[in-house]
Amino acid sequence: MAARAEKSLQSKEPKNVATNEQEFSKFKYYLKRARQYFTSASRIKQLILKIAMYVFLIGLAFVFVYPFLFMIITSLKSNADLGNYAVKWIPTRLQFENYSIALEFMKYGQYFKNTMIVTVLATLGHVVACSFIGYGFARFNFPFKKLLFGCVMLAFIVPIQTLIVPMYLTYAKFGWRNTYLPLIVPTFFGFGLRGGLFIFLFRQFYLTLPRDLENAARIDGCGFLQTYLRIVFPLGQSTMVVATVLSVVWHFNDDYEPSMYIDKAQMGFLPPRIGYIVGLANSPPEVLYETMEMLGLDDDTLNDAVIMASAALICAPVILFFAFAQRLFMEGIERSGITGE
Amino acid sequence: MEKQIKRKKKHLTLRQKDQLKGLFFVAPFIIGIALFFAYPIGLSIRLAFGKVENIVGFQVAFVGIENFKRAFLVDTNFIPLFLQTVGNTLLKFPLTVVFSLIIAIMLNRKIVCRGLFRVIFFIPFLLGAGVVMNQLRALGVDREVLSIMDGKIIPYNILNYFGGDIVTAVQKVFGIIVQVLWDSGVQILLFLSGLQSISPALYEAAKIDGATEWEIFWKITIPMISPMMLLNIIYTLVNTFVDYDNQMLGYIDTWGFGNAEFGYGAALGWIYFAFVGLLMAIVFGVMKGYMHTNEVEEVKKRGRKSRKVFTIERTKKRSY
Repeated sequence: MAARAEKSLQSKEPKNVATNEQEFSKFKYYLKRARQYFTSASRIKQLILKIAMYVFLIGLAFVFVYPFLFMIITSLKSNADLGNYAVKWIPTRLQFENYSIALEFMKYGQYFKNTMIVTVLATLGHVVACSFIGYGFARFNFPFKKLLFGCVMLAFIVPIQTLIVPMYLTYAKFGWRNTYLPLIVPTFFGFGLRGGLFIFLFRQFYLTLPRDLENAARIDGCGFLQTYLRIVFPLGQSTMVVATVLSVVWHFNDDYEPSMYIDKAQMGFLPPRIGYIVGLANSPPEVLYETMEMLGLDDDTLNDAVIMASAALICAPVILFFAFAQRLFMEGIERSGITGE
Repeated sequence: MEKQIKRKKKHLTLRQKDQLKGLFFVAPFIIGIALFFAYPIGLSIRLAFGKVENIVGFQVAFVGIENFKRAFLVDTNFIPLFLQTVGNTLLKFPLTVVFSLIIAIMLNRKIVCRGLFRVIFFIPFLLGAGVVMNQLRALGVDREVLSIMDGKIIPYNILNYFGGDIVTAVQKVFGIIVQVLWDSGVQILLFLSGLQSISPALYEAAKIDGATEWEIFWKITIPMISPMMLLNIIYTLVNTFVDYDNQMLGYIDTWGFGNAEFGYGAALGWIYFAFVGLLMAIVFGVMKGYMHTNEVEEVKKRGRKSRKVFTIERTKKRSY
């Protein structure tokens, strides 16, 4: 049967006179090939491996996505659903008003603007400065290199809690209290929130970068600064994306340092606002009642659903940003054409 | 004047030029040290060895190692808390590195919905870096993810058969795994970027030479991401030490800021930091020999004689 099928394919009859029978045998031939393809041992092994990998991935993904799902679903529950233990994953009614209440309570727009100013500028500082400094550490030998690199590690290891008093005094001396400068300016010098890590990150990347490209640029008559700006800096694209993502997320979510340097309420940032709402929800009934009365709301409007809605609103910009950035992240390397030889 | 400078420049050797270039690149950092780092570090050290006498002018009197003595001999909370933190870190840190490497390798393959998976695996990091996750933890989310107590994954009958102790132990392990997974977002990201900088040509060459996946993993992937591995190990160590749920830092903060005993707080911080620094020095020392870099000098320095350096050339020679 199979032999006939093969023969029919190999026969040198012109194709335009293909009869019904021939078509049929062709189909059988393909069927056979398909069966061979799927039943060969290595294929089955691969298939099983692939299925196992996906099961593992999806299982892991569940663990990872759980807090997010929990947050979103809780944020859409109504008061009755929150009290009802039978309602776990599917609310009886989607209450989108929770979000508008949360927006109003947090004064979202104003605090979002504050947070964005600091996040964008500080991230810019980190990426520009740490790339520059990291290149110096990776490529050149100079006196006190080890000592300086020790300082980088020191800046990274020493927890800010240890240094917060002297830091505060320093910035107070500069007259930077109640401004965003203590959060922005140090990043342009490779300090700031985990600045040492970023220098280290870029250094590790430049260490793996082949020197050939730089040598080629030098032969073509580039000075060292031009080499950096035109060759090295653009090549670091993938690392830059990583640094940007980390810096944005950390600056966006940081609440320790800002709470130390800034005590004007209207200059505050977004994440601590959830603490404000939680505090209000847990405050004594008469205070809560008074506040709600002022806003013209029922005193049971502030519940876990509203708290979760505000949490979701706080995370939303970062998650959107990451969803966008991971696409760049994928493209990064294909474009840059680095060979690791 | 110009001529003079030019003539001077001509006298510089290649090495001196290299040094100047290096200093030029590092200059911002040096300025940064002078502006933001030297004074706080210096003051913090002075505080650790002293006592604040007058809060207004911030006058510090030198008292020697009294603060350190107090931490080890007088304070009954410090040492147990310290040991607990260290144990916690040593347990979590290898798990984090291994898990994140596995996940990063899977995410780097050509899988369906890669972008979606990537976003999913970073969600705990995006939430977790701040107050939002604390809020979720307060509601007990981290405990109920992989909960076997409520009999949903494994029925009650089987649980009863095993007995309470085992179930509690398994539950505890699951709790640690969940926490480790949630904390490994940054590590996944760093590994992923390391994996992406490996040229596909290397893999292709290895395949043509008949290497199996396992061999490729050990002889190409691991050496090529070794710089990222070092970064990751260091980051993980530091991060578990400065974690949000780390009681040690809270304790330091209470003394240093809350109780306004600045000297004692600083001393505690420095003891803690000295330990982290020591661990890191060990990691650096161990990893240095195994790191693959393109530093020509370094390879030349030790590549020929010591066998530790993992370079592509070496692994190739070995496989023939």
